[in-house]
Amino acid sequence: MRYFDDKPELVAAILAKYPPQGRRSSLMPLLREVQTALHYVPAEQIEEIAEIVGVTATEVRAVMSFYSTYSTVPQGKYHLQVCATLSCALAGSDELWDDLCETLGISPGEVTPDGLFSVQKVECLGSCGTAPLVQVGELGYHERLSRQDLHALLDALRRGEYPGPHSPLPVFVHSGQQEDAAGARHGAELKPLGENL
Amino acid sequence: MKVFVDDRAVEVPAGTSAMDALFEAGRDVPYFCSLPYLSPIGACRMCLVEAGSPRRGQDGQWILDDQGQPKIFWLPKPMASCTLAASEGMVIRTQTDAVRKAQAGMVEFTLLNHPLDCPTCDKGGACELQDRSYEYGYGASRFVFDRRHADKHYPLSDLVVLDQERCIHCKRCVRYFEEIPGQEMIDFIERGVHTFIDGYEGGLPSAFSGNIVDLCPVGALLDNVARFRGRNWEYDHTATICTGCSVGCSVTVDARNGRVERIVGRDHPAVNERWICDAGRFSHALEEEGRLTTPLLRRGGELVPASFDEVLAYLTSELVDVPPAQIGLYSSSDITLEEGIALEATAQVLGSGHVDHLPRFSQLPALPRPTLHQLAQASAVVIAGADLGAEAPVAELRIQEMLRGAAPPPQFRHGTAIADLKLTERMERHPERLAIFSSAPTSLDRSADLVVRGDPQAALSAIAAALEGNAQAASPYLSAAELLRRPGATLVVGSELQAAGGLRLAEKVARSSGAALLALPADSNALGLAYLRLVPGEGGAAYGEAILPVALVSRCRRLPAQWPRLLIVHDTTLSALAARADVVLPAVSGLEKQGTLVNLEGRLQALRPAASEVGEATDLIPALGLLLQALGLRSPVRGLISAQRALAQRFGARVQSLPPEGALLDLGEPFLAETHLQHQPEVGAWAAAHLAAARARAAANRALEVAK
Ligand code: SF4
Ligand code: SF4
Ligand code: FES
Ligand code: FES
Repeated sequence: MRYFDDKPELVAAILAKYPPQGRRSSLMPLLREVQTALHYVPAEQIEEIAEIVGVTATEVRAVMSFYSTYSTVPQGKYHLQVCATLSCALAGSDELWDDLCETLGISPGEVTPDGLFSVQKVECLGSCGTAPLVQVGELGYHERLSRQDLHALLDALRRGEYPGPHSPLPVFVHSGQQEDAAGARHGAELKPLGENL
Repeated sequence: MKVFVDDRAVEVPAGTSAMDALFEAGRDVPYFCSLPYLSPIGACRMCLVEAGSPRRGQDGQWILDDQGQPKIFWLPKPMASCTLAASEGMVIRTQTDAVRKAQAGMVEFTLLNHPLDCPTCDKGGACELQDRSYEYGYGASRFVFDRRHADKHYPLSDLVVLDQERCIHCKRCVRYFEEIPGQEMIDFIERGVHTFIDGYEGGLPSAFSGNIVDLCPVGALLDNVARFRGRNWEYDHTATICTGCSVGCSVTVDARNGRVERIVGRDHPAVNERWICDAGRFSHALEEEGRLTTPLLRRGGELVPASFDEVLAYLTSELVDVPPAQIGLYSSSDITLEEGIALEATAQVLGSGHVDHLPRFSQLPALPRPTLHQLAQASAVVIAGADLGAEAPVAELRIQEMLRGAAPPPQFRHGTAIADLKLTERMERHPERLAIFSSAPTSLDRSADLVVRGDPQAALSAIAAALEGNAQAASPYLSAAELLRRPGATLVVGSELQAAGGLRLAEKVARSSGAALLALPADSNALGLAYLRLVPGEGGAAYGEAILPVALVSRCRRLPAQWPRLLIVHDTTLSALAARADVVLPAVSGLEKQGTLVNLEGRLQALRPAASEVGEATDLIPALGLLLQALGLRSPVRGLISAQRALAQRFGARVQSLPPEGALLDLGEPFLAETHLQHQPEVGAWAAAHLAAARARAAANRALEVAK
């Protein structure tokens, strides 16, 4: 049985969101559905989606390969994406990445034997101020992550507890230059050079 | 609509793109992604210009500047002229420093990851990227990092290979498949710099796949049959016509060292636009296999090479007692008008009525023929007993054009619109405008709403009845009748119907519905030859109908039912027929001869010989001359010049000076006669053989590449 065979209502609901001439738009939610359920989109489902939408499998692949959120190879329940762009690299993402791969015993494209984890290096996640960081699937960002934090996170995930995203305020370079909604000023004290480190 | 390009003013019709307006003004911008007949998408950003237009105020009057002139509101950034619609009073600048800098920047950007392996690239010397870089680039790159590396020999099919490193992502090939044949085959995979072209349907299952090789602006998509066979400047280019079928597509035949290495499509806006079918493109590989270059004479039971003098001596002694009027002359229907009139003259000199050409049909429509252009603009098309994919492949593309409502593309001084804003990706197609009645599946079935399997004659009778108002409610025949009644509808009939003698019925349907009638001829010049007396005369026998003492047969692949006592075959290869001949005369192929062909529209087009080595092979005229000489007779048509003179007398037209686009002429009254030979559309069968030969050669090319 194929993935959508027993989900006619779901398919109908997705298709109903778009006008007939925009039927191709339903590619995205259908792909999303499979990716979320199976943690990847197998070739068979690519064909299946193509058939549902009435486009070629080539087009489904074209759309899918444009977005890094879809994967053609199996991913773990928690897909850990480590930012490896400049700010994160300066803040130690390389070491974090090596530690992660070593701890889990996998490299990109592999899944841990318990099916829980897979890893991927990604480009800037847009949170350079809180480098380095790891994104857990679609669950959330874990920013300013030390190795200890990472191990604690892995342990929690192994127990089946997702602790929730962790987004501390960034370290500001100059004190008092950021203010929050209440008007209170934030930011690190400007200390003599070197003392901040 | 008046548009100002730099210092020039130019009038263009509403809806023109800025790109076509500036070309019309004699200016020029570089472009990679736009292409005539394809939708403009603004992908390459090469065609940047500065542009601005005047605006009207609330009072409907132009807003004026300090000098009292309409004030030009400049667009803040350089614009891609291909997707920018020209508007009344628009000012376009193509020569400013800003434009030059923007264009040079784009060249640099496009070249970032280009491998620049021009010295080993088959496109080198005829590459749009080379030319544009030279003309518009800085001449230097500041990119010091490693370039992208990817697969350089990625076979998209047996016949087309992709060099992923060279692709500049112009998307022409992707758009082509979707827009022209209407078969989505390939798409962009991945994103950004990692993007590559691929398809997951396996190979390129389209009968028109080779066109992407012609349209790729760089050496990314290559003809695997011609690959590594020559550099562009080494080829002798010959602009001629494909003789594969009655469409008569314009092609350029490239030969090197006397050997045809590749065939590419040539733009003919009224016939094939710029597309050709794979059978025509890859036909040269087979044409060249087992070619005969000298005459052969049967001696001691074996065919052995001989000289023309020996053949003449042999024939002279063999024909002593043969009454000339008993000599049969038969030819295939792809010979030129020149060869045809020589054949006619020879039959007259012999006094023989045993003359025919095949394949042909018994009848020709007595209605005016629609042109391919009219077909592409038809409001509806009904096809009865024709498989266009096998009989006239490129006509199928013109029907796809009509299904998109895309015709006609605007024409300018610089040719077909480069960026026709009417065209978009994934235009709506109208399958309800097409109906097909045939007994076997046809290649266009996928594009038609109404497809009925069964005898097309019976279908036409039912349509005729429906037109007379005798139809039961809501039948496919009634729907077809309604389609045909639309003003501007066309009825297309092919071999299945015509071979069964259904043409009169088709005429009746066309007359009573007011539709145009396009009857596909049986071969590439079958229509033209119908206007020469090349059918059996009084008491004359059709091909293989009687045992004749002598017959000369030129390039017929069909074996006769009755064999003549002495058989002279004029052919390119030792065909099954030639293998049983007493004398074999070497023939040139359609790529190698000069003359005139008449396509399915009735358009006379000039055939020119490619620069290939043919040995002693000749067209039909000298072969006929040899036969007459052996009999001590002389024909008034003894060569190309006298044939042209005879054609001028007959048709009142100088075929040696046809305009480049050919000429639609009235050829007078046709000579018709019944024929009992069932005709099989040949392109289909020949296409399979041609593609097999092309694949074999492509495989040999790959082996060569591995050996290197
Ligand atoms: S393969 Fe050629 S035609 Fe296709 S996108 Fe690349 S450069 Fe353009
Ligand atoms: S075979 Fe016919 S359709 Fe194909 S290229 Fe030749 S003339 Fe055109
Ligand atoms: S560099 Fe890692 S978030 Fe921007
Ligand atoms: S952007 Fe490519 S031609 Fe205009």
